[in-house]
Amino acid sequence: MSDREQYTPGPASGAQIQKDGEKWTLILVRELRHSPERVWQALTDPAHLREWAPFEADGSLGAVGTMVKLTTVGAPTPQVSETTVTRADAPKVLVYNWGAQDIRWELEALAGGTRLTLWHNIDRRFISMGAAGWHICFDVLDHLLSGTPLGRMVGGEAVKFGGWQRLNAEYATQFGIKAPNWPPQAAQES
Amino acid sequence: MKIKVTSIYVDDQDKALRFYTEVLGFAKKADFSQGPFRWLTVASPEELDGTELQLALNDNPAAKAYQQAMFQQGRPGAMFYTDDVKGDYERIKARGAEFTMPPTGVTASTIAMVNDTCGNLIQLIQLASYSR
Repeated sequence: MSDREQYTPGPASGAQIQKDGEKWTLILVRELRHSPERVWQALTDPAHLREWAPFEADGSLGAVGTMVKLTTVGAPTPQVSETTVTRADAPKVLVYNWGAQDIRWELEALAGGTRLTLWHNIDRRFISMGAAGWHICFDVLDHLLSGTPLGRMVGGEAVKFGGWQRLNAEYATQFGIKAPNWPPQAAQES
Repeated sequence: MKIKVTSIYVDDQDKALRFYTEVLGFAKKADFSQGPFRWLTVASPEELDGTELQLALNDNPAAKAYQQAMFQQGRPGAMFYTDDVKGDYERIKARGAEFTMPPTGVTASTIAMVNDTCGNLIQLIQLASYSR
């Protein structure tokens, strides 16, 4: 069996929600056994992003003011967002937008690795889905940098995966919200 | 191969979901988001596993121009069959919707046209062969 077939994500962990009225921000923390320089490269370089991220970039995200097109992977029609990098302090802080949402990364050197923190202001109705998706992306990223790639798991491919569905439910419980209606079952409420 | 989903562009997905569920009476089926993308569909409560209608955000300038031209020409963006167009007309009108055409007899059917408030006209059709 390949690593991908054997892969099962661990339990939901390392997530918090910052609430500002209706605007919620997902905060995810993950410790990686790789240096901030290597993690920075994986966060900014299109060839790395293609291996783990839920979007593809047509240029590097590593310089302030750069206009980059991000294409959401797994959407049934091309979903392209023009993105501007507003902060890029290598290898510490990276800020840009993904459509109307803001993405902020912070990298902190640890002994033998990096503590990676993501802030992402996902619509609160989909925040547990986002947490589950990023959780799996971070596992894929960790494997990629360890030289044992699992292959990207995003979009429709991720949501069919039992591990994603379990994480979505676990994060929803942790955040005290109802798990979104996925996989779709007819919901009578609107 | 099956025709399982069809799409309509809308200018606001939340507003569209309210109109298609609370005013027209469909049921929300799928609602999934990834980054800026949101996959949102509704289905008829009479046929929950039937064809889904995707309420797709119209952030495409070409699609917007097409949608506006269709609307100005009075052409429907989607057509739904009903077995009681007059009843649906009264029910939907009572919920505040604006009809641009009340139930009107045409060849082999009765049709009505309603503004979905999201950039489209929707045609309701009752075929004569469905009449009670």
